[in-house]
Order: sequence, then structure tokens, then C-alpha cells
Amino acid sequence: MTGYYTQLIVNGIVAGSIYALFAVGLAMVYGVFKFINFSHGELITWGGYLALMFSSPPIALPLYLAVIPALLLTVGIGLAQDCFVFRPLRQSNPISILIASIGLSYLLRNGIRLFWGSDLQSFNLPLSTGIIFGDIYITRIQILMVLSALLFFSILYFLLTRTLLGKSLRAVSDNIELSSIMGINMRKVTWTIWILASVFAGSGGILLALDTSLDPMMGMNSLIKAFAAVLLGGAGNIWGALVGGLFIGITENLSVAFISPDYKDFISYGLIFILLLIKPRGFFGIAGGVR
Amino acid sequence: MKKFVFSTIAILFLISAGRVTAGDISVGSVTPLTGKLAVYGEGFQQAMLLAADEINAAGGIKGNSFKIVFEDNNSTSKGSVSAIRKLITIDKLPLIFGPASSSNFLAVCPIAEDNKIVLLAAESAAASISKCGSYVFRVFPSDLLQGVGVAELTKSLGYKEVVLTYVNNDWGVGLAEVFKTEFTAAGGKIIDELPHAEGKTDYRSEILRMKSQHPKAIVNLTYIKEGATILKQAYEMGLKVQWLMGSASKSAKLIDLAGKASEGVIGTYPTFSQETPQYKSFKAAWEKKYPGKKTPVFGEYNYDMVKLTALALESASSNSSDDIREALLKVSKGYIGTTGDKSFDENGDVNASYGQWTIKDGKISDYK
Repeated sequence: MTGYYTQLIVNGIVAGSIYALFAVGLAMVYGVFKFINFSHGELITWGGYLALMFSSPPIALPLYLAVIPALLLTVGIGLAQDCFVFRPLRQSNPISILIASIGLSYLLRNGIRLFWGSDLQSFNLPLSTGIIFGDIYITRIQILMVLSALLFFSILYFLLTRTLLGKSLRAVSDNIELSSIMGINMRKVTWTIWILASVFAGSGGILLALDTSLDPMMGMNSLIKAFAAVLLGGAGNIWGALVGGLFIGITENLSVAFISPDYKDFISYGLIFILLLIKPRGFFGIAGGVR
Repeated sequence: MKKFVFSTIAILFLISAGRVTAGDISVGSVTPLTGKLAVYGEGFQQAMLLAADEINAAGGIKGNSFKIVFEDNNSTSKGSVSAIRKLITIDKLPLIFGPASSSNFLAVCPIAEDNKIVLLAAESAAASISKCGSYVFRVFPSDLLQGVGVAELTKSLGYKEVVLTYVNNDWGVGLAEVFKTEFTAAGGKIIDELPHAEGKTDYRSEILRMKSQHPKAIVNLTYIKEGATILKQAYEMGLKVQWLMGSASKSAKLIDLAGKASEGVIGTYPTFSQETPQYKSFKAAWEKKYPGKKTPVFGEYNYDMVKLTALALESASSNSSDDIREALLKVSKGYIGTTGDKSFDENGDVNASYGQWTIKDGKISDYK
């Protein structure tokens, strides 16, 4: 039976790393611009669908190459979100931005329906049994998911702590006006945030699609988990997003041992609810800013 | 073969000569002649007209000619409602053939029931139609029967203990209930039972729990997408069992999505023999009336529905819907149509015989 629980924890870590990848972009955007981007989920979906497009006929690139244009285009969508919707609204009240992001989310999601239809799609990778460690099964894609999350977070850590760009990014999130007065290039920082958020979401989307399948709602469904992760970690806190994501992934998977898997969200969200009652500012506190 | 989302907006016009005249015995039909189901609707209509022709050639009903008043529903439920209202209030018909697709049919059910109009279905499978009321009948087997079919399949394959999983909605829960009752009554044991949500992309937790029970067979009552995802992920997780499924997952799409993980699945589906004299005579009549045309999807059910109606009208003591309802229950007992035994039970449902399907070498074939 220990094998069963270990397997559940492994599944939890896999799910959690993906949630964390989704959550970090959300946390960064919140940390700097102070709004929750509902259309973040669509970056996830578009990432997955674009990779599918580039890897299937008529383009038919090998998958590892298809990822590059797919991520570039996802970044393009991310930047376009900022350029056409969020930047013009930056000075308006938070509710307008929130509603605009919800509208944008519908627009992008229905764009996917228009191009690819609502039907479930998949990469049709050759099916193979997972790798076995003792009692534990894990697929190659799942290993890739965890490794990518590790890699991405390491890069992010390096970027934020060791580079001038990262430091200016953190400064901007502490105080956007003061930073611009101090001569920090705002455009550069803004771009960096959207690029990072898009790359994280897009790669997460591709990995999720490889692991399961693609449907236009996949981003929206994952976004709810990402919200929870951000909230749990403390809004705006990147490491909080990582811990929050892992926490949700592991609890929801462990809960399967006790209740029907169909209701696993019940346990994880119930726990989040209780945790937030005790620690309303999340694990790391809503300090504002990107840490 | 079901879940055809047959749908409508009604533009009211009469297809066949239409007006109800003295000397005619007429019934109504809400049929998708325009809209997205029109491609099926035409076939339904042709099958119904074939039956009507045969009835009239054999002397009609009590010496009167038999007529079907067709009303288009534009393949939507809204159109179905307008169409049936027109047939009830303007044409004042006591018996109506309901529209195709369960959702359209369910939309008109309460109207027929409230007005005490006999309503028949030839291609709607939803289990909830059984609860429509006492004036509603269907010659097409309810989805619920599949629960029985799968239970029998499980027993016949010699599995005494199974894990049961089903899609967590009205359809799946209903189906699972029937399966459980049937299977346990026959001495079977359900080791674990777990619903799974519709439309998810990750069922690994569910599969893990199924796996922890070490079953030999898993009964999976679900749709195509969910079924394919479960099969695929179970394969990846090294779960090797005999999968038993219903007809809702019997589709080439399942093989597309799940690939070799779908190999060896066994399932049931409602079927009828094409070797009976009833079927052969239908087929011959069809080819005579519509030379060169293939028999349409559900055409046999539509044909049976009209034939059975004519028998009921013939034996009913009056043309009132209550008398027709009584007569319908009576004449259906032991009636063998082209699609088999059409005896109505207390819910107005018929029984069905089940075929078995399997996936072999990436193709759906009959399991023997």
C-alpha cells in the first residue's frame, strides 16, 4: 500500500509542477501590474494548440522544433495582450482591466474554437508504458514536466537575483512610479514580464497537452488551479506560486486515497479555504512585488 | 447510434396533402426536414411513408385511409415545440410521432403528456424518456437497457468481480445503477465503484485507484473521449485488464484517440437481426419503393413505429387518445417488427437484444 501512496505523491508533484508553471506568470503580472489576468489561461491553450499546428501536416516539424515557433507565437500573443488591451487601460480602474481580461479570454478561447474546433485533439504520440521504479509508474512526458519546471524556476531565480534586468523587475514591482523616476526602462521590464509569463504558460500548455490532450477549455480549467496556487503562496510571490502549485497538486492527488477521485478538488480547495482562514496572506504573505 | 443531437425552429407548413379530411385517419409527425438533422429526417420520412403506403394498400384503417401529417421542426427543440403545438391545437391529432434526438424529444414530452396526446419515439435513447409519462412510448431501446447488456456480457465472460467506473452524469449514474443491480443479483461482486467526471483530460488518480484493487476486468460506462483518455492513461500506467464498455464508446474515434490501448476492449450495443422475415420484407419493400437508395439510419425503427400505430388505430374502440393508448399497449404485446420484439413495458419502453463488439487490429468488429 505504501507504493500506492508514493505513486499518489509522485502524481501530485507532476501535477503541481505544471500548476506552478501556470501560476508563476499570473503571480508576476499581479506583482507588477496589480491585476489578475483571466486571459492567462488562453496562453496555456494557445501554446498547446500552436505546437500541435507546427508539428502536424502541412508543416509537420518534429516536435522539439515545433515548440520553438509555438512559443514565439505564444509570446507574441502575450505581448499583444499587453500592447492592445492592458497598456491602454493601465491608468483606468482595476475593474475595467479585470473585465477586459475576461473578455480577452473569451476572444482567444473562441479563436481556438474557430481555428481548430471544439473537439478533443491529441499529439498522437506513440503510446508507451511508463517507466517503472519499484511500484511507481511515471511516463517520460511526466519526467519532462518536472524537469522543465525545475529548469524554468532555476532560470527565473538566476534572472531575478543575478541580473540587472531581474533586479529592475523587482524594483518595478515594489514601486512602479518610483522605479520609472529612477530611470528604469519600463518598456523593457514590461516586456520581460509578458515574455516570461507567456513562455511559462505556453511551455506548461505544451507539456500538459503532450501528457493528456488538447481542448479549448484546458487553459481555463488549469487557470483555476493556478489562481488557487497564487492565492495560497501569497499573491505576487513567485516562490509562493511554486509552493502553492505543489501543495495543490499533492493534496488533490493524495485525497484520492480517501474520497472518490471525481471529487478530489473538494479536498484540495477545502484545505486551501482552511489555510487561508488561518493564514489569510498565504504562505509567504502578500507583500506585493516580485520576490 | 444515438445521442444524435437532433434539433429546430418551426416554420409551419404541411408536407403531404396536409389537411385532415373526413374519411382519413391521421396522425402527426414532428420531423427534422430542415436544419442540421434534415439529412436523417428525410430518411425517417421515407421509412414512415413506406409503412403508410403498405397500410393503405392493405385497406387502410377501418376502411379509412391512413395519413401522416408531417410538421418540420428545423432540427431544434424550439421548433419541435411549435410543431407539436400546431399538430395538437390546429390539426387536433390524437397521436404524434415525436422528433428525433433525445433533447428535442424531451422538449415535447411534457406538452404531449399535458394534452394527453400519445407520443411515440423511433430514435431517442435517453433514459429519462422512460419517465416522460404514460402517453409516451418508444420503439427504440432505452440507454438503460445497456446496463443490463453489459451485466450479461460480464457474466458471460466469466468475471465474478469487477471494478465499476462510469461518467458522473444522469446517463452514467442511471446506467451504472442498472448494471449494479443486474450484476450483483446474478452473484457478481463490485470490488470498487468510482464515478469519473465528464470531459477531463487526466484520469490517472481514478486509474490508480482502480489499479490498487487488482481487478481482472473493469466495467467502464462512458463516452468516447473519456473512454479513450482512460484507456490510454491506463495503458501508460501499466494497468492490464479486460475493459468492458457500452455502446456509447463504440466508435472509430475511440481507436483514433486511444490507439493500441483500445485493443481488446469488449462492449455491447443494441442490435436486431437482419435475417428475420420481417426485416427481409421491409428491405424488399424499401428497394421497391426507393430503388437504389440505402435503407436510412433508424429507418427500420420508424417503419415499425408506423406499423404498430396502424395496428393500434385498427383495434382502438374510438379515435380518442386514451383508447389509442390502451390499444397500443395491447397490440404491442408480442409484436415482432423489423427491429425485433416491440412489446411496451409500463414505461412505454421496449426490450432489445444486444450484440457484442470488440476492437481487434485497430478495427471495430463483432465479438464472438
